[in-house]
Amino acid sequence: MFAQSVLAESNSLYVGDMIFYIISFVILMLLVKKFAWKPVVKMMHDRAEKIANDIDSAEQSRNEASDLATKRQSELQNSRQEAATIIGNAKQSGEKQRSQIVASAQNDAQALKENAEQDAKQARQDALKSAQNDVANLSIEIASKIIHKELNADDQKALIDSYIEGLGKDES
Amino acid sequence: MGGDAFTFKLFGLMFDWTNIISGLIVFAIVFFLLFGLSRKLQMKPKGGQNIIEWIIDFTNGIVRGQMPADEAPHYNFMIFVLFVFVFVSNQFGLLFNISWNGNEILRSPTADPIITMTMAMIVMTLTHFAGVAKNGFGGYLKSFCTPYTAMLPINLFEEFSNFLTLGLRLFGNIYAGELLLKLVAGMAFSHGIPTMIVSLPLEIVWQGFSIFIGSVQAYVFVTLTSVYISSKVSTEE
Repeated sequence: MFAQSVLAESNSLYVGDMIFYIISFVILMLLVKKFAWKPVVKMMHDRAEKIANDIDSAEQSRNEASDLATKRQSELQNSRQEAATIIGNAKQSGEKQRSQIVASAQNDAQALKENAEQDAKQARQDALKSAQNDVANLSIEIASKIIHKELNADDQKALIDSYIEGLGKDES
Repeated sequence: MGGDAFTFKLFGLMFDWTNIISGLIVFAIVFFLLFGLSRKLQMKPKGGQNIIEWIIDFTNGIVRGQMPADEAPHYNFMIFVLFVFVFVSNQFGLLFNISWNGNEILRSPTADPIITMTMAMIVMTLTHFAGVAKNGFGGYLKSFCTPYTAMLPINLFEEFSNFLTLGLRLFGNIYAGELLLKLVAGMAFSHGIPTMIVSLPLEIVWQGFSIFIGSVQAYVFVTLTSVYISSKVSTEE
């Protein structure tokens, strides 16, 4: 059982085996290097590189994101300010317009009032005038009826006018 | 030649059929195992790629643990192939141990001292080459005289004993494992059913232990290899 297993019991050194194993081992190394080692190690190296790149790019996008956030913040601030200015302007112009409108309304009202006063005065004048005429006519009729005497209308009118003028002076 | 073994002669060199056949099969297994594991490589590994990457990381770790960081990458590949080859060789005999006409056909190649000493020789030659390549021939010779010249014989003897122990440790472990397996198997068939019942658990236990021994010895072999290489390349000037 041990005959071929142990060197000491064998009659000669198996030099052939040694050379066979050395050559086979070298061939094995060449084959494994070509078909297994190189692609696998390359893949491992690629992966390590990819992970490093990913970490770098993650860092970069994080920085970009924080930049964008600051930018957004400042822009928000700007637009808020702008909005405040716009509102302020609008308030001012609204105030201005209001005072203008109020002023013009006051003017209009003043003018209307004046017109109305004038109209009223006119009307009073007219009414007085027509009343003078009526009174003159009436008094002529009355007088003519009473005294049966045809009185000159113009003389009568002048008489009554002077009388009414005297009345108006007493009134005012 | 003696007619004691299963040998043939070619070009005036002695060959042993057992070693040639087992060796060829082991070389084929190692190659096709690694070839099969490294197919369909992906950035995101799965299946076989994970296994081969784990083995590579494992052997790279062994080398890195023993050597200066700038030297380690040169020997990663050598240690990787050596580890897989020794590991498969150690386990091979546990799976296939075939005898025919009193001659063994298949067994662990590492259960033969010739083969383990050949592996040890490859390793020791590599360490000496590495020493010369790193420190130059002068530095290489000087490394035998450290720390002082009086240490020269001890250093030389150490080289020789390193070579012997590296090969014989592997051989002894694997050979003893297989021998005991064979003895237990022989016992099982010696007296019919009763011995079979007794032998079966023994065989199972010893097979499990041999798998452990074979793995540990493969690890020890490549670790010592990297230690020897490291001691040659990192000589302090």
